[in-house]
Amino acid sequence: MIEFKDVNKTYPNGVTALKNINLTIDQGEFVAIIGLSGAGKSTLIRCINRMHDINEGTLMVNGVDVGKLRGKQVRSFRRKIGMIFQSFNLVTRTSVINNVLISTVPDLAWWRKGLGLFPQEKKVDALEALDKVGILDKAYNRVDQLSGGQQQRVALARTIAQHPDIILADEPVASLDPVTAKVVMDDFKKINKETNMSILINIHHVELALEYADRVIGIRQGEIVYDGKSEEVSQEVLNQIYGSVENIPKADDPEEADI
Amino acid sequence: MNETFYDKIFKPKTYTLSNGKEVKKRASRTPLILLVVLILTVVSWEVTGVDLSVIPARGNQFIVILFDMFPPNLNFLGNIWGPLFDTIQMSLLGSITGALLAIPFALLSSSNIISNSLLNGFFKLALSILRTLPTLVSALIATFIFGLGTMAGTVAIFLFTLSYIGKLMYEHIESVDMGAFEAHESMGLSKVEAFRYAIIPDILPTYLSVSLYAFEGNIRYAAILGYVGAGGVGLLLDERLGWRDYPSVGMVLLILMLVVFVIERISEYFRMKLT
Amino acid sequence: MNKSVQLQLEKAPNRKLYLTTIGVILTALLVWSILGVNITGFSQRGLDIASNIVRGILTPDLEFLFDFTSGGGVPYLLFETIAIAFLGTIFGSFLAIPISFLMSPSVVSRPVAFITRLVVIFIRTIPSLVYGLMFIRVTGPGPYAGVLTMSLTSIGMISRLYVDVIENLDRGILEAMTSMGCTTYEKIRYGIMPQLFSNFLSVTIYRYDMNLRDATILGLVGAGGIGAPLIFAMRAYRWNEVGSILIGLVILILAVEIFSNKLRGKLVNG
Repeated sequence: MIEFKDVNKTYPNGVTALKNINLTIDQGEFVAIIGLSGAGKSTLIRCINRMHDINEGTLMVNGVDVGKLRGKQVRSFRRKIGMIFQSFNLVTRTSVINNVLISTVPDLAWWRKGLGLFPQEKKVDALEALDKVGILDKAYNRVDQLSGGQQQRVALARTIAQHPDIILADEPVASLDPVTAKVVMDDFKKINKETNMSILINIHHVELALEYADRVIGIRQGEIVYDGKSEEVSQEVLNQIYGSVENIPKADDPEEADI
Repeated sequence: MNETFYDKIFKPKTYTLSNGKEVKKRASRTPLILLVVLILTVVSWEVTGVDLSVIPARGNQFIVILFDMFPPNLNFLGNIWGPLFDTIQMSLLGSITGALLAIPFALLSSSNIISNSLLNGFFKLALSILRTLPTLVSALIATFIFGLGTMAGTVAIFLFTLSYIGKLMYEHIESVDMGAFEAHESMGLSKVEAFRYAIIPDILPTYLSVSLYAFEGNIRYAAILGYVGAGGVGLLLDERLGWRDYPSVGMVLLILMLVVFVIERISEYFRMKLT
Repeated sequence: MNKSVQLQLEKAPNRKLYLTTIGVILTALLVWSILGVNITGFSQRGLDIASNIVRGILTPDLEFLFDFTSGGGVPYLLFETIAIAFLGTIFGSFLAIPISFLMSPSVVSRPVAFITRLVVIFIRTIPSLVYGLMFIRVTGPGPYAGVLTMSLTSIGMISRLYVDVIENLDRGILEAMTSMGCTTYEKIRYGIMPQLFSNFLSVTIYRYDMNLRDATILGLVGAGGIGAPLIFAMRAYRWNEVGSILIGLVILILAVEIFSNKLRGKLVNG
């Protein structure tokens, strides 16, 4: 369970990114966060795994007060939260399976870490993660030989192999074409149903958000302006989130990460 | 997955997933490669007689010469200008003539310009063979044919420039997009006209930039050609090193460094403008 | 003519003056260098030698060319040259690693990077033959001096190419690893090293190709390899031997070039 209580976040340059966020997300929910570029979507997601610090309020994740974690605690806390990025963030010059195995590195014995020797069960686990996203046959190919959609699925497999409780996805389909985007979103949906992981997605495509997510959170200038079921999102709600009809992004609109 | 000979000796490893699927992983080539590199290193070590203990024991000799070069003998400056200009002139003349002759060579080597594979193959091979000869070796041969002096050095630089620019240019020409050429032909231009307006604008900047780069490198090469008697500052270096007149060697190297630095900056400036 | 068209026409950049200036300078340089170089035609003696060399290449000393048993045949000399270049490249590429990090503005502060860069330029400008002579003072004549020379002269170029690799590292993976809870050591080991390794290797193979060419000339100062026998054979007018050496050299360098291009293509494209 993720709980934001009166959370505020201001960047050192004075930009207020989050204002009075109060939010509860239960285990196993599939949540889409929508809003304009710079509205605070990315900041919201990145506070959950302490990629960003909050200034005020408390943020509890599965009973842990995120703001109070220090050093090593932050790292072990992050082990339970997976993250997916717009630009995939893979090591392109090495094989698919080695990329997936990176997520298990912190759990290895020190000598295995140095030599890069992964135990058999981790390898099988990594292969199973690849099987879940349908690219098992690419396991020993180099990542730079794969298409963008396949690369994002490698990243997804990497996160699955981490066995997190929560997956945070920051614009996972923004650099993919519409067809591949749907394939990747299908994978998210499947994982959410099969493993009961909570999934929080920042997404620019409103149609995809409404189609896949159970719950939609609309953010405008750092404040939550809508929080409810995706079926109940109406044109008025969208106008409220995006300001006016003209601002509603088209599917091909390029999107920048916040700040 | 097609099996190679290696896979037949070292069987692929099989992983079984919980849902019954099997994945085969080829045996890694890394151990084999490491072994080869290791053997090569050991053998090379033996052949060349490398003995690391010599370095701490006698390494100071290297530094002694280096320190002997400082301060450089400023009085020697007067003797440097002549050979220095020889060096610059050799590399200029060799570079310009080499770059000019590289054009017909590159065109004759390019299969999309001259569609005669026999001719292409011949010129490509000629450029490759020319490129294998180190400049100093061709300079050595040239001194036997043209006698000692700057002519031999110029010929050596000319040959190297020709092969270097020739190869890079035919590679570039062969990768040129022929679409514009076709478009111009379709407008009624002749083949030569289409070449002039479609291909030349594409390859000219590369040609100039590669030529400048070759010239930059040639100055360095030209500086040592004197070693085999092919003129330039190399002669001075050879002579002064022979006499163990290290302060003068230091002076030659200092001036050489300055000249190379200045020429590289100028050439870099123009190459930046071209791209 | 339409007025705005007229105006635009006059705006066309006038580069005639610029191009003429460059043309004049180039012509002047060419004339100056033609005057400077002592152009000699082919003397009768030169022509004789040229035809002798050609004849030597066509009728090489086969016994010398295929003498695999003794230490004085072409195969052994080429082998020694390969060994010098190989060890020199290995030493040079290892020495270049710390230097390249000290040269990268994204790793160290700008002044440090600048000073290291100057030192490397300094190292690079001294001709390899001068190093060869300096190292002979340390090790005595022979291939060992050649290895040390190769190591030192390859540092300059290798470290410059390494810097490009370091500066172009993909930093996205580091963000991903932070989000997974990896330590700095783990990030370097699994995020940076795999990226550096294949790129560094590709640079090193490329440099080996060049070092092999350079190693052939080190023999001229007595630092081992096939250069010395070549110069002796020429001075003694043993043209068939010269032919054998040249044939061996050309074949070796062509073979290594083809092989290294294949290898690097594999490294880059997987």
